[in-house]
Amino acid sequence: MSIYFLCLVLFVIGIYCIVRKRNVIKMIIGVIILEYAVNLFFILAGYRVNGRAPIFSSGEEIKNMVDPLPQALVLTSIVIGLATTALLVGIAMRIYEKYGTFDITKIRELKG
Amino acid sequence: MSREHEKGMSLIVKTITRLTVGIIFLYGVYIVTHGHLSPGGGFAGGVIIALSFIHLILAYGKEVAFKKLSEARASIWESTGAILFLSIALLGFTGGYFFLNFIPKGEPFRLFSAGIIPLCNIAISFKVGAGIFAIFVALILLKLDVGKKK
Repeated sequence: MSIYFLCLVLFVIGIYCIVRKRNVIKMIIGVIILEYAVNLFFILAGYRVNGRAPIFSSGEEIKNMVDPLPQALVLTSIVIGLATTALLVGIAMRIYEKYGTFDITKIRELKG
Repeated sequence: MSREHEKGMSLIVKTITRLTVGIIFLYGVYIVTHGHLSPGGGFAGGVIIALSFIHLILAYGKEVAFKKLSEARASIWESTGAILFLSIALLGFTGGYFFLNFIPKGEPFRLFSAGIIPLCNIAISFKVGAGIFAIFVALILLKLDVGKKK
């Protein structure tokens, strides 16, 4: 149970990073930490004690394996996380191009 | 020193890159082609293939890397991957339904087995490899005009 709590701590660090930091790049890093906390939670939810990787290979009998479904979901989640991170970085670069700063408190113009 | 050594990082980095970049590319191809047998597959192998080109662009600068895979060529490869994947899926209609595994399955745990899954992996690797390279190029080559603010 405590390991889920540590996962929650990582999630809260990500939320803190998004809410509290003023630099856009640091907020993007917060989003990444948050994503990885959720991925870690999924992997932990599928874990079995003394389980092996759910790979079917020749000449081996699988007795105790971890749950493969969260792993497949997390693989998709990593792919989507890559795309969203690239999008966020692109938006941050556009913000820097327009305002000359990454500080969100100095981005005040609401037009365009 | 030839002309390609004028730009980019130092000689040490360039020498190591020249030695390793082919091995990285081959490892990506291995991950893709064994995607139905071992961990990995289209996405992971495609990322490794893209990383070999990114390695080249970091060490040698963009001219040498674009000679191997230009932006337009990357776009074409990406579209090819998407069309290949869609056509493999549509070819399933020859036997019945979408994504039908119409090729004989073969013997398990052999390289040529599992029907259309290796072909799908190859198509995904085209799409992912060219796509990630294009994302990287788009991010690093964006010219920023800072200070345009009135």
